[in-house]
Amino acid sequence: MSAGPYNYSYIFKYIIIGDMGVGKSCLLHQFTEKKFMADCPHTIGVEFGTRIIEVSGQKIKLQIWDTAGQERFRAVTRSYYRGAAGALMVYDITRRSTYNHLSSWLTDTRNLTNPSTVIFLIGNKCDLEGQRDVTYEEASKFAEENGLMFVEASAKTGDNVEEAFLETAKKIYQSIQDGRLDLNAAESGVQHKPSQPGRNNLTDQPGNKDNCAC
Amino acid sequence: MADVLTETVQPEDLKRFEKIYHEQLYRNDVTPKAQFEYGWCLVRSKYSADIKKGIILLEELYRTHEEGQRDYLYYLAIGNARLKEYSKALSYVRSFLSIEPGNQQVINLHQTIKKKMEKEGLVGMAMAGGVVLAVGAIVGFGMAIASKVKS
Repeated sequence: MSAGPYNYSYIFKYIIIGDMGVGKSCLLHQFTEKKFMADCPHTIGVEFGTRIIEVSGQKIKLQIWDTAGQERFRAVTRSYYRGAAGALMVYDITRRSTYNHLSSWLTDTRNLTNPSTVIFLIGNKCDLEGQRDVTYEEASKFAEENGLMFVEASAKTGDNVEEAFLETAKKIYQSIQDGRLDLNAAESGVQHKPSQPGRNNLTDQPGNKDNCAC
Repeated sequence: MADVLTETVQPEDLKRFEKIYHEQLYRNDVTPKAQFEYGWCLVRSKYSADIKKGIILLEELYRTHEEGQRDYLYYLAIGNARLKEYSKALSYVRSFLSIEPGNQQVINLHQTIKKKMEKEGLVGMAMAGGVVLAVGAIVGFGMAIASKVKS
């Protein structure tokens, strides 16, 4: 219950964005709870979820901000993009309009995050093959042209959900290893937690406060 | 630890929405959208005076603008929880859940508020008054017996 030593070495901040009804909250729920939420009501403002994962033997805590897709929330939800290390941009493969809006979501993301932010495109609802409105090839080409990672996934069956969240983390972790992502830069979306039990990290990590978005 | 009760608004964002709201207020034509956006930012401020102001704006919207009531309820619960007005916060959560019982986002908020209360040692404070008395009575009774046995 008390603070104690951290059982993870990094915190990565993620955002999930995309049109309303594409299944952003269901993807988050599937990832954090391994359950499908049927009849999911519209998200109000932003919702939050966490899960600790492991990449290359390092425990990483994902702090995920799931934004409401409805237009009336968009002005304020934009402020959550700041300092995101990963952005999951979601469309619905059965509704073409949600795909057509991707360029506007992408522009927002590029403008409001930093160059090292990993953007992962997810075509959700791939279990509904019969109602498909956007081909895999087309979306794949869009992702390639814009330098995005891409999968088709299903929050309902769980297909590729884990992969999307984990691959994003791997890419971020790689950026840290390569030195492309500066941990001390404000708004990198990554916090490093020294995991030495018994050490007071408030005194030996003064930089952490500056990185923290809160 | 970040969550919906501890994350705070960036001062520049608060200023931006404050400006829009005040411009509309000056023209005597405040839209529910501007008021909501400003109220939403205010309840996420680190200053309790801001949070209180945000609550007033959201309460007014709740009374006058039916369309966005679920949004207002949700952020009223958050604002009150941040002010440690837990009984109010929980009553907003409960009235939300009486309309949408399965809403996972609000169920999560309910749990987050309860965790915060536990951390602050307020577990069931609202209903605990009686329990404390009862425990006190049992302990007292036990001690009385113990002292009798000794003597």
